[in-house]
Amino acid sequence: MFYRLSGIRHTSYPAARQLWPIAADRWQVGLVTALALAAPVLVSDLYLGSYVLPWLIWTAAALSLSLLMGLGGQLHFGFAAVMAIGAYSSIHLTRAGVPFEFALLGGGVAAAVIGTAFGAAALRVKGLYLVMATLAMQYLVDWVITNVPAISGGAQATLRTPEVSFLLLPLESLDARYYVALLWTVLMTLFFLNVKRTSFGRALAAIRDKDFAAAVIGVDPFRTKLMAFMTASFAGGVSGAILAFCYYGAVTPEQFGFNVSIQLVAMVLVGGLGSVIGGYFGAGFVLLVPIVLTNLIAGLAGAGWISVSQNLAAHLPLIFYGGMIIGFLLFEPLGLAKIYDNIRKYFLVWPFRHSGS
Amino acid sequence: MSEAVLRCENVSRFFGGIHALKGISAEVRQGEIFGLVGPNGSGKTTLVNCVTGFYPPQKGRILFEGRQISGQRPHRIASNGIARTFQNVALFKGMTVLENILMGRHIFMNPNPLAALFYPVWAAKEEVAHRRKVEQIIDLLQLESVRDEHVEVIPLGLQKRVELARALCAEPRMLILDEPMAGMNQEEKEYMVRFILDAQEELGLSVLIIEHHLDVVTSICDRVLVLNDGNKIAEGPAREAMSDPEVVKAYIGGQAHAA
Repeated sequence: MFYRLSGIRHTSYPAARQLWPIAADRWQVGLVTALALAAPVLVSDLYLGSYVLPWLIWTAAALSLSLLMGLGGQLHFGFAAVMAIGAYSSIHLTRAGVPFEFALLGGGVAAAVIGTAFGAAALRVKGLYLVMATLAMQYLVDWVITNVPAISGGAQATLRTPEVSFLLLPLESLDARYYVALLWTVLMTLFFLNVKRTSFGRALAAIRDKDFAAAVIGVDPFRTKLMAFMTASFAGGVSGAILAFCYYGAVTPEQFGFNVSIQLVAMVLVGGLGSVIGGYFGAGFVLLVPIVLTNLIAGLAGAGWISVSQNLAAHLPLIFYGGMIIGFLLFEPLGLAKIYDNIRKYFLVWPFRHSGS
Repeated sequence: MSEAVLRCENVSRFFGGIHALKGISAEVRQGEIFGLVGPNGSGKTTLVNCVTGFYPPQKGRILFEGRQISGQRPHRIASNGIARTFQNVALFKGMTVLENILMGRHIFMNPNPLAALFYPVWAAKEEVAHRRKVEQIIDLLQLESVRDEHVEVIPLGLQKRVELARALCAEPRMLILDEPMAGMNQEEKEYMVRFILDAQEELGLSVLIIEHHLDVVTSICDRVLVLNDGNKIAEGPAREAMSDPEVVKAYIGGQAHAA
C-alpha cells in the first residue's frame, strides 16, 4: 500500500522533526505543488481568476488569523480591519513611489503596528471581552478609513491600485498575479508549519491551554500573546495588500467590513482551528460553497426539477450554507481538517485499526 | 549545616477576610527534601503559590539564593531556577508527551516568529540540541514508551511523571512538588518516590514537597514544616515533627476532655 506507516523508522532527530516525516505525505505535497504551479495552464482564465486566485489569497488570510485564534487561542473579530490597514498602506506607499516589494512589507508593518497597539489594549481582557475589544478595532478602523479622505480618497470613493511589478514581473497579466499570490500563500503555509514545531508555537499553544502552567515554566503570557498579535497582524496586512493588488485591483472600505471579519472567523472555525490544511479547506468552503449551491439550485430550478420563486432561490443557498456550518460545528468541532485527518489516519494503518507503537 | 536556598521571612497572605498565611518563616536548605504538611486548607498550596509568584505575599518577603523573589511575576521566578508541578495535573492537552517536556526547555529557547520563518538555518539547531536534553530526562524518568503519545490518553501516574519531567527539563535548582502522589496506587507511589530521589541525587536539587501520605513524608523528607490554619505548628526532622502533640491534635483532633 502506498499510503502507510509501516517501515518508517527515523534514526536522527532532524529526520524525525522534518515537516512531513512520512514519505507518502511528501509525495502528496509535491503533487499538489506541481498542480498549483501548472494551474495557469490547466485551468481556464475565468476559473483561475475568479475561483483559484481568491481562494489562495483568502487561505493566506485565514492562516494569519488561525495563527492567533487557533494556536494562540486569542479571538479576533476585527481581522478584516487589519487587512484593510495593509491594503490601504501598501497602495499609498506604491503611489508615493515605493517599490511594490517594499510596499507589501510596509503594509504588513503598518498593520502590525496598529494591530499590536490595539492588541496591547485588548489583551488586558479575555474571551468574550476580547471579542468586544477587537470588534471595537474593526469599527474604529472602518470609521477612520471612510472618514479621512487622505486614506480612502473621500467617502464612497474607490482607490485604484497603481500599475506595479513584483521582482521585475509586471502584475498586469492574470498569471503573474496568480504566481505572486501563490508565492505568498506558500510562504505563509511554510511559516505556519514551522511555527508549530518551534518554541514560539509551543509557547502559544501552552498559553492557550493552561496559562498558569505556561507561566510556571517561564513563558511570559503577555509578551507571547502580544507577539502573536504582531505576527498575525503583519501576515494579515500583507494578505490584505496582496488581495488588493492581485485580486480586487481597487479598494473600497466596504470590502473590509465587519461581515468580512466574520467570514474570516468562519473560515478558521469551519476549516479547523490552528490547522494549515484547515485554512485551505475553510477558505475554500466559505468562498466556494455558496457559489456552488447557488448554481445548483438555479440549475435544478431551470431544469424544472424543483419549483421555487425568485425570492426563495436567492435565499435557499444561504439557508443550506448556514445549516452546513452549524452541522460541521456540531458533528466535528475541530473542523474539516479533523475529518481529513481521520480519513488519512485510517489509511495510514490500513488494513489494521491501530498503529501498534 | 548547609546554607538555606529558599528562605521565607514572616510571609502573610490574605484573601478578603481570610488570613490564609499568618507570618510563616521557614527555610529550605541546599540539597534537602523539605516536606510541607498539614490538614486541608492549612495554607500549604498558598505558601507554594507565594513562592512561585501567583499570590505575592502581602507581608514579609521570600528570598531564593539570597535574592528577593517575592513580587516578581511567575515566569521571572521560573527563569530564576524554581520549577514546580501542580496538584491537579497541568499538562498541555493536545500536545504529545515529547512536546510537553520540550515546553520545559522554554526558558533556554528563543521564542521568536522569525526563527520559525528561517527554520532550517535558525531554529533547527536549537530544536535538536534541546531534544537531546529532553531525551536525557525521558531516560531518567523512563518515559520512552509513551514519548509520542498524546498526554490525555496516558494514565494519571504517567501524567504526573510527565509533569515532573517537564519541571526537571528547566534545569531548576529548586523543585516544588504539590502533592505528586495524589490519587496514585501503591505501586505508582513507590515509582514516583524513586524518581524524586533519583532526580534529587543526580541533579543536586533542593526539593519542597507537599504531601498527604505520611509514610512517604517520614521516609523521604529530611525536615518538615507542619501548617495548621495558616500557622506554623511544628518544624524539624520528619519523625519528630510528626509526633509533636500539636500536629497529632491538628490531624486527629483534640481530646474532648483533657485529663
